[in-house]
Amino acid sequence: MTDIDHNIPAALPAVNNSELRAKRQGFGRFNLEVRQHASAWYQVVALAGGVGAGLFIAALILVASGVGFSDLANEFIFSIFSTPRSLSDVLTQAAPLLIVGLAAAVAFRVRFWNIGIEGQMILGSIAATGVAIGNIGPAPLRVATMFIAAALGGMLWMLIPALLRIRHGVNEIISTLLLNYVAFNLLLHLLYGSWKDPKSGFPNSEQYEAVERLATVGWESLTYALPLALILTAVIWWLLNVSRYGYFTRVVQANPRMAAAMGLPVIAVTMGAALLSGALAGVAGFAISAGVEYRMTQGFFVGYGFSGILIAFLARNNPLGAVLVALCVATLFIASQSLQVFYQIPGSVVQLVQAVVVICVAASEFFIRYRIRRIHRGS
Amino acid sequence: MMAMELSGVSKSFDGFHALSAASLTVAAGEVHALLGENGAGKSSLMNVAAGLYQPDEGRICIEGRDVLIDGPIAAKRLGIGMVHQHYKLVKAFSALENVLLACGKGRYGKSIADVEASIRRQSAAIGFEVDLKRPVGALSVAEQQRVEILKVLVEGARILILDEPSAVLTDKEAEALLGVIRQLAARGAAVVLVTHKLAEVQRFADRVTVMRGGRTVASVDPKSRSIADLTALIVGEVQTEVRKPAAAPGAPILKLTGVAGLRADGHRALADASFELRRGEIYGIAGVGGNGQSELAEILMGVLRPAAGSIEFDGVGEIGGDGARRRRELGVVSIPADRQAYALAGDLSVTDNYAVHGIRSHRFGGWARVDGRTAQAATAAAVAAFEVNGVQGPRQKTALLSGGNAQKLVIAREFATQPQVVVVHSPSRGLDVRATAAVHRRLCDARDNGAAVLLISEDLDEILLLADRIGVMSRGRIVREFAAPVDRQAVGMAMVHHD
Repeated sequence: MTDIDHNIPAALPAVNNSELRAKRQGFGRFNLEVRQHASAWYQVVALAGGVGAGLFIAALILVASGVGFSDLANEFIFSIFSTPRSLSDVLTQAAPLLIVGLAAAVAFRVRFWNIGIEGQMILGSIAATGVAIGNIGPAPLRVATMFIAAALGGMLWMLIPALLRIRHGVNEIISTLLLNYVAFNLLLHLLYGSWKDPKSGFPNSEQYEAVERLATVGWESLTYALPLALILTAVIWWLLNVSRYGYFTRVVQANPRMAAAMGLPVIAVTMGAALLSGALAGVAGFAISAGVEYRMTQGFFVGYGFSGILIAFLARNNPLGAVLVALCVATLFIASQSLQVFYQIPGSVVQLVQAVVVICVAASEFFIRYRIRRIHRGS
Repeated sequence: MMAMELSGVSKSFDGFHALSAASLTVAAGEVHALLGENGAGKSSLMNVAAGLYQPDEGRICIEGRDVLIDGPIAAKRLGIGMVHQHYKLVKAFSALENVLLACGKGRYGKSIADVEASIRRQSAAIGFEVDLKRPVGALSVAEQQRVEILKVLVEGARILILDEPSAVLTDKEAEALLGVIRQLAARGAAVVLVTHKLAEVQRFADRVTVMRGGRTVASVDPKSRSIADLTALIVGEVQTEVRKPAAAPGAPILKLTGVAGLRADGHRALADASFELRRGEIYGIAGVGGNGQSELAEILMGVLRPAAGSIEFDGVGEIGGDGARRRRELGVVSIPADRQAYALAGDLSVTDNYAVHGIRSHRFGGWARVDGRTAQAATAAAVAAFEVNGVQGPRQKTALLSGGNAQKLVIAREFATQPQVVVVHSPSRGLDVRATAAVHRRLCDARDNGAAVLLISEDLDEILLLADRIGVMSRGRIVREFAAPVDRQAVGMAMVHHD
């Protein structure tokens, strides 16, 4: 009896409820509730609000670091979309971003966390460059051969972590990440060794010949990398949103144990998505080397891994959404380049600006999931 | 003066009224049962008392004083302790560490000694035996529950709320627990017992409050009412289930010989299961939970490979090595105990969850295109036929369905094609009277249509009501078989006494 029957501790004074209530009402009392349905319209508004808030804060940061407000508007809106030159720059930049975004989205759809996109890009580019240097295959089909080699290169690089995960349960976040460093050192080994540019002696591959480049579409400097990215988008959209395989990925993503119990081929679905993700990343490497730089450089892949994750995240793994997000990210890239050049804004501030926009968009997700409600506690 | 008075409590979630002006009065020294269907608001009301939910409206009086319970800590200070249906224990911690986590104060070393002394005092007083040193995850469900109860007692709770404490216990364990609850009440505690089991209420509760649709509809003396009366209060109409034996059991369809299965940790939970299932009968497997039932269900579902033994399917031969896909092609369907883990994907729509059974058969389009419209139409038809309520549209998230309706959705899917063998594990766990009756009716229908039904359940009443033959499972073996009708006592004895 003794233990149960002690009095209410003094720590909680017996306060009249209405008094307590009045005290709380001063601050207002808010409740956080899980939103059960969020209409598509509301989601768009919330996301737009996130983007708006992000751009506003980004503008404040840039103004604080010395860019005039009017210059800012000029740089972002007018100069980018008014001159064909910079518009083509944005579109050129968007193509590889879109492809890495697709690579991330495909893997994330089956909860395979591919952090090794950059490593797979490197292997893709190495495979494509190997085809170019060795003049493998007939010249008219050289670019196509390079494309296939790049896809296979990325896919084979992904085979290692995918098998490790499925056979031995090795966490793919760790294995894909670490393989990035292996791939990078392999790249340096080649570029400082046998593939060093014989003409200039610089550590990058020799320039691709004309037949080894993605052709220009005939408008500004835009190449077929962009149409390629758009075709891949359509294929991935069909695969994920229309085909039976896409349905399997949805079930595997939502509940792998249930998928297994219902007799779905969980391992094949996971493996397929992981390898496809690697192949897409390899193609992205090819798109940069054969569509933008026309050679394999030391740093062509830098930043694309996380940009891909970012694009997939913001597009919620939806390939069509990825087109829009990739365009936005490309705009930020290009605008930030001119900010660095013309306003001496340090690169770190540019990264800060990008991060702020991303955080704001991510935060808008909160308002889609939850509802904040003011509580009136009537008596 | 009442120990706890809740009056006019309302609470809504995103427009759904979980509680509408509910009231409950509990006196010290009484065991107060709270009855109601799933979704009637029992747990919501208790979560308000425990400080987990903030009511939109209403008054709470504890021992005559108006209080504001704005969190679990406030509830704890007021002497309110709740044992949740799903235990809030850290599995890797020992019982002692779990209790310490909840109510340790001051210096660690001193605190641990204080708490241990307090636990020993409490457990001696009510005759609980709990191993304080072993990790809680290694304890049985009943032992884990004792840890939860000790936790609230050590916290100094004088108002105890137990949310469906006997749902996971065997008859014997439940009996012991309810005895302890009476003892606590006799020592002056106010006990609120949330339950579905009417017989329990009649034997152990002093008073019963019935909830329906978020309102408290009646507060009566359970001993003055019959089970039928209480049921009527709960569901608003009288309905009791009647046993319906099999008309004509047919030929054997599935034969298990010496089947063994390992748990994830390597423990041979299923040691040697041998029995036969016949078409047109319900074979019940009775037993205390954790004696290999889950492993048996997983092996038959095809998600766990048998470690030994053979499973023969009539006319096909050995299927022990086949995976889930092959099993389903043979018409082996399952209604698993853990719906959220094995049967449904909460984040997907009702249609996606339903269509998964037929996606391979080209019923819902080929490999190149899933035919969403056909799938939605088929889902809508099945939802109507199986009376799955609460589906507002084919794209509604499955997680929004209540337990009973989610179970009906699983059954609708599994019975979409004529099943040959139905493996059912605890199909009515957590379901209310009405939903349970609906589930039972479906199982009898499947049997009458010629399927063999394997009913694995820890609820002996359910087994006795439905099964045509009963196998008692203990330590991974079928230790005895009975043909219905059977003596409840005999089955109960076989469950706990074995060699």
